[in-house]
Amino acid sequence: MITRRNLLKWSAVTPAIIPDLHAHLRSLPSGVDAMVVDSRFSNPGLADRFDRRVHLFSGDVTAVWFDVLDLRWRQPGYLLGGITGQDALFVLERLAWDRGRRVTDRRELPLRGSDGLPVVQWIIAPVHRSVVS
Amino acid sequence: MACRWCSGSSPPFTAAWCPEVAVLPPDMDEAGFAALLGEFRAAVGEEWVWSGTADMFPYRDSFSPVWDTAEERHASAAVAPADVEQVQQIVRIARRFRVPLYPISTGKNFGYGGPSPNVNGSVVLDLKRLNRVLEIDEARHFVLVEPGVSYFDLYRVVQERGLKLMVDCPDPGWGSPVGNSLERGIGYTMPHFRDHFGAHCGMEVVLPDGELMRTGMGALPGAKTWQEYPYGFGPDPAGLFAQGNFGIVTKMGFRLMPLPEYYRTGLITVRRRQDFAKLVEHVNYLSDSGFIGEAVYGSPLAALMGDASFAAVATRPGGPADADMDAAAEAAGLPSWQVDLQFFGPEAVTSAGWQYAKDRILSDIPGAAALDGDHFALPATEDQLLNTTQSYRSGIRRYGALGVPSLGIWRIVRDDGHVGFFPVLPRSGEAVFEMQRVLGDALREFGMNSFFNATSAPLYWHTFAFQMVFAPTVRKNDPSHNATVHRAMKKAVAVAAEHGWGDYRAAPIYQDDVAATYSFNNHAMRRFHEQLKDAIDPDGIIAPGRGGVWPRRFRR
Repeated sequence: MITRRNLLKWSAVTPAIIPDLHAHLRSLPSGVDAMVVDSRFSNPGLADRFDRRVHLFSGDVTAVWFDVLDLRWRQPGYLLGGITGQDALFVLERLAWDRGRRVTDRRELPLRGSDGLPVVQWIIAPVHRSVVS
Repeated sequence: MACRWCSGSSPPFTAAWCPEVAVLPPDMDEAGFAALLGEFRAAVGEEWVWSGTADMFPYRDSFSPVWDTAEERHASAAVAPADVEQVQQIVRIARRFRVPLYPISTGKNFGYGGPSPNVNGSVVLDLKRLNRVLEIDEARHFVLVEPGVSYFDLYRVVQERGLKLMVDCPDPGWGSPVGNSLERGIGYTMPHFRDHFGAHCGMEVVLPDGELMRTGMGALPGAKTWQEYPYGFGPDPAGLFAQGNFGIVTKMGFRLMPLPEYYRTGLITVRRRQDFAKLVEHVNYLSDSGFIGEAVYGSPLAALMGDASFAAVATRPGGPADADMDAAAEAAGLPSWQVDLQFFGPEAVTSAGWQYAKDRILSDIPGAAALDGDHFALPATEDQLLNTTQSYRSGIRRYGALGVPSLGIWRIVRDDGHVGFFPVLPRSGEAVFEMQRVLGDALREFGMNSFFNATSAPLYWHTFAFQMVFAPTVRKNDPSHNATVHRAMKKAVAVAAEHGWGDYRAAPIYQDDVAATYSFNNHAMRRFHEQLKDAIDPDGIIAPGRGGVWPRRFRR
């Protein structure tokens, strides 16, 4: 389960991400187990610069969800942070509900995708008793 | 007292969905509701019962055009049983309390109501915990699943076990085979697998009195063919549970397609607008003969819709003159229509099939042309699934076409989602042109006529019928837009019915409108359904109103 301490840590880090996404993703914010980043809003090659706990995708969450999140979300715990398009968050949020998780922090960033798509930073945390560690 | 949520004052507050006002089941007070929840908790465990605004948010219809209006339907609670016995317990409790249950499998029926019920205050029976793949047979090509199994779950089992089976899945693939087929959803492979309800074989159902029933061969104790012969003996009630409210399906069998060895695509184009009629007849023949998978129709002229003068022609009231459309095609150097064909089977068979299709069509339609497309052995690689190597613009979505569930289609969802009206029409060019004209003209007053312009192509999802698509977007922060969409949907249903076109599936807020159009002989079918409903579920315990079927208690 997300703790207030973890939430505060994450909240302290994420505002700094806005001006320079890449620079601030070099190390994971403490408290989150992994992050997903929508590469539509970052430069190519970002994946090479970060460890396995940052999962990149480009709009379509299928692979990262099927290969990583769906398996992890079946187990207790796993605090996930993300910076994605609103469309991707819509999908992930509903999949998270199925596994007893909720978006516990959601902030729209002062960025827009090429088609005006809102960019959102968020945390998905376990909230149901069956997955709270 | 003012409400901090909806700016109303003194209960009842003004917003339909106001957190200060509890949604209660019909004919029930708060004390009764508390007692009901207590019994549910005793049956399934405290953590598997939800109520209250925050916990019930996931059970709202995210795509609702009546979001935050008095017409939006809200559940009062949700309960998630772990097994069939708990489902039976819940039904018996609900029967005692006379509370409607609204069963969902994964609740991903977006565009058609999602997890939201027909009746305010219903309790969502969330079957996500019944999530076992009970049996899958690679040699006899079937699977038996519970309702909480998603297409992704089933695909994962096939992959992990290395089974040579193909799962025909909808797009997106996060729904469940049980829920999607009970909604008569569709897929994108071979004709008899695309019809998901048609591909089911045997089901287990909890009836409104809590009894457990199996259909088809499942009714015969010890039968070994439950997933291989659907009918058993005597009347087959299975159809009553699709888009119906006569029971809760807890197990369902499906026929699966053996994984084909090879996949081949090809494109046929025709020059003139009226060539479409012959093209459709040929493709009908190929499909009904079992030669091809989903045929994906399109008009290359749709690319010209950004040109105002062409758009004016393509959306002309009463339909365009063929000569004008042909002249535009000629000037642009584009064919009027195209169809992507897909072949499955051994490589030599796919090659022969494509050659036959080319010979048949090109010899009969002057000016028709063929382009050889991608072809490769299955299973496909990731690059092949992405469909990036086709030498021409293809309308095929490869993931669905090859039975691989995907969520990628969400990238095309605009605004806050959409609603869907997909009228069924005959597989003929004439019928397509008529629907373009009639519904295009009908929707003009809403500014939504472009869904039915002269380049709008039919969808060939169902086995023996076309559909066309009206899917206007909704915007949560724009009630005026949503109200226009709502009116347009209702008009589209009505006008289509006047011309013999019915919808195949609808959100709860439109189910009564659609059901009312199936009115042969003074609504004989609805009256028959109502008689059945009154006989087995007079208090409306199972999804009253679903499919337009209301028990006496709720009939107006």
